[in-house]
Amino acid sequence: MASDLTRRDFLKIAALTPLMPALLAACRRAEKGRVVNFFNWSNYIGKDTLPNFTKATGIDVRYDLFADEEEMFAKLRAGARGYDLIVVGDYLIPRFRSLNLIDPVPPGVLKNIDNLAPRFRHTSFDPDETTVPYLWGTTGIAYNKKSLKTKPTSWWDLWDAKYKDRISMLDNVRDCIAVAMQLLNIPQTTRDPEDFKKILDLLVKQKPLVKMYSSSSYLNSLVAGEIDLAMTWSGDLFQAAKDNPDLDYCLPKEGTYMWVDCLALMRGSRHREDTLRLIDYLLEPQVAADNANYVRYASPNQMAWPLADPVLRKDPRVYPPQKMMSQLMLHHVLDPEQSEMWSETWADVKVA
Amino acid sequence: MKPLDRALSWLLSGRRSAASHLLLAPASAWLMIFLVLPAAGLLALSFAHNGNYGEVVWTFGLDNYRRAFEPKYIPVLLRTLGFAGGTTILCLLLGYPLAYFLSFRAGKWRNALIIGLMVPFWTSALVAFYSWMVILGKEGLLNSALLKFGFVSAPLGILYTPFSVLLGLVYFYLPFTVLPLYGSLEKIPRSYIEAAYDLGANRWVAFLRITLPLSLPGVIAGALLTFIPCLGDFLTAEILGGPRFYLLGNLISNQFLMAQDWPFGAALTTLLLIGMVGGLMIYRRWEPDA
Repeated sequence: MASDLTRRDFLKIAALTPLMPALLAACRRAEKGRVVNFFNWSNYIGKDTLPNFTKATGIDVRYDLFADEEEMFAKLRAGARGYDLIVVGDYLIPRFRSLNLIDPVPPGVLKNIDNLAPRFRHTSFDPDETTVPYLWGTTGIAYNKKSLKTKPTSWWDLWDAKYKDRISMLDNVRDCIAVAMQLLNIPQTTRDPEDFKKILDLLVKQKPLVKMYSSSSYLNSLVAGEIDLAMTWSGDLFQAAKDNPDLDYCLPKEGTYMWVDCLALMRGSRHREDTLRLIDYLLEPQVAADNANYVRYASPNQMAWPLADPVLRKDPRVYPPQKMMSQLMLHHVLDPEQSEMWSETWADVKVA
Repeated sequence: MKPLDRALSWLLSGRRSAASHLLLAPASAWLMIFLVLPAAGLLALSFAHNGNYGEVVWTFGLDNYRRAFEPKYIPVLLRTLGFAGGTTILCLLLGYPLAYFLSFRAGKWRNALIIGLMVPFWTSALVAFYSWMVILGKEGLLNSALLKFGFVSAPLGILYTPFSVLLGLVYFYLPFTVLPLYGSLEKIPRSYIEAAYDLGANRWVAFLRITLPLSLPGVIAGALLTFIPCLGDFLTAEILGGPRFYLLGNLISNQFLMAQDWPFGAALTTLLLIGMVGGLMIYRRWEPDA
């Protein structure tokens, strides 16, 4: 149970000691042989996916985990080098590009790129296809159907005083501010300080009810029954529900966000060719299907859909029906000024 | 052999200043590279600005310090002082009798007990705090035991309360309080106490007039060694505290990890360091034989 927790905090420590990642990277550099250093979210790849790749190609994959995007970003900024491949959330791609952390995927190299569904080609967050969509999902509400008398239907349920101390919120500026904006009918394009004041007030009002802000350890608390209601990412909850069948997921009636995690090439990588080979491998229909079946997120790979577990394929919580799909919004791509306002507001929520 | 002997005796004789410098060199170099230089970098960073997407812009100003004194951070400061103060007081209350026992009563067990006091440091604080989570949680060991023996009818919410934070802090910092206390109690010549008895003092008076005043340097050292690191602690509140016990350490780590505002984080750290050094200087003034 605790493996997830400790991993998260070891990362935290690692991020705090800028020397350590640099040392690790130095060790990596010294190694010879064919290898890809892959930096990914925890619980975010099929059990056999990477061993199968190594079996098929003879290329080793060294796999490293993070539990929080902002922390991962901090770790890279603190000087962690030596990664070849990284998973980046859609909204972070412009930031990574502008800080020169990633290189664009060269066009015409990936023979499986056309397996991606049209919706995931030339997206608003990455029109030039500099990265490759890996998996996607939604942000919604996880709940324990045995402990709650009524099923949650709205984001406002996370503000309901009767659930005091049984609520957790994602420790993620993007999702929390976006939901507050949605509830206040404020567009994500805003740069009005008054709007951010309202957002702050709404989130601070909720704070006395919230037991924890967490992006990974809350899953253990959900499984253990410490909390009954949580803002969550779809697939994480489905993975947790394997350990506690009372857990369910709902897409709030106000509508919600979808996000796309993408594979990106780290700048300064010395294993470019092998990394591209791994990306191409992950785009193979059977590989993508097995991977998605395991992690329980939706695949952007349309050739993989017929091969996916039919239970998942038909589950509207994983692949929302057409009508719902049209209501799912992508996060707006923020410019630096907006980005600053978002993080400042979120930091103030924490301080309040 | 001869030249080596001579070199060694030159080095250790302690008369030549060059030899003294050479003896100090390794530690000084270490401190220079890993303490002074990073601290100087931190100080420089605290005057810089935060640019696009958290890039550091090297234009200098006092804005970060001005921000640090905004009223919204006052509750964080007060909360931190409260937890650090509470931890120090609890550690002294628990630690003084323990140190007294170790020094005056433990006899042949003393060394074993002192080693026992260090045992918690053999595991990382992280592992220890997660163990506390397992113990204190709603479905944890403590609640299961209480429920089983019928002391409570519903699980107690112990985790994520001021109690769980204080528990974690006291658990971790108690040895820091006890060791200096023990050291200063050990230094008290037993003949002084016997002299007090000879002059008609009872045990209580001897303790209040002799032992306690002579152990005060240890009390102060122990209190400072507990209070000061407590001010910067963030792991305990992060793991055992939940969202409502946000301390200075959390605020600082948040600037580096989440908010991507390193200059502001550096300014907060500098202010915290100034506060700590100020505290230490007050201690130097108090310490009788400084």
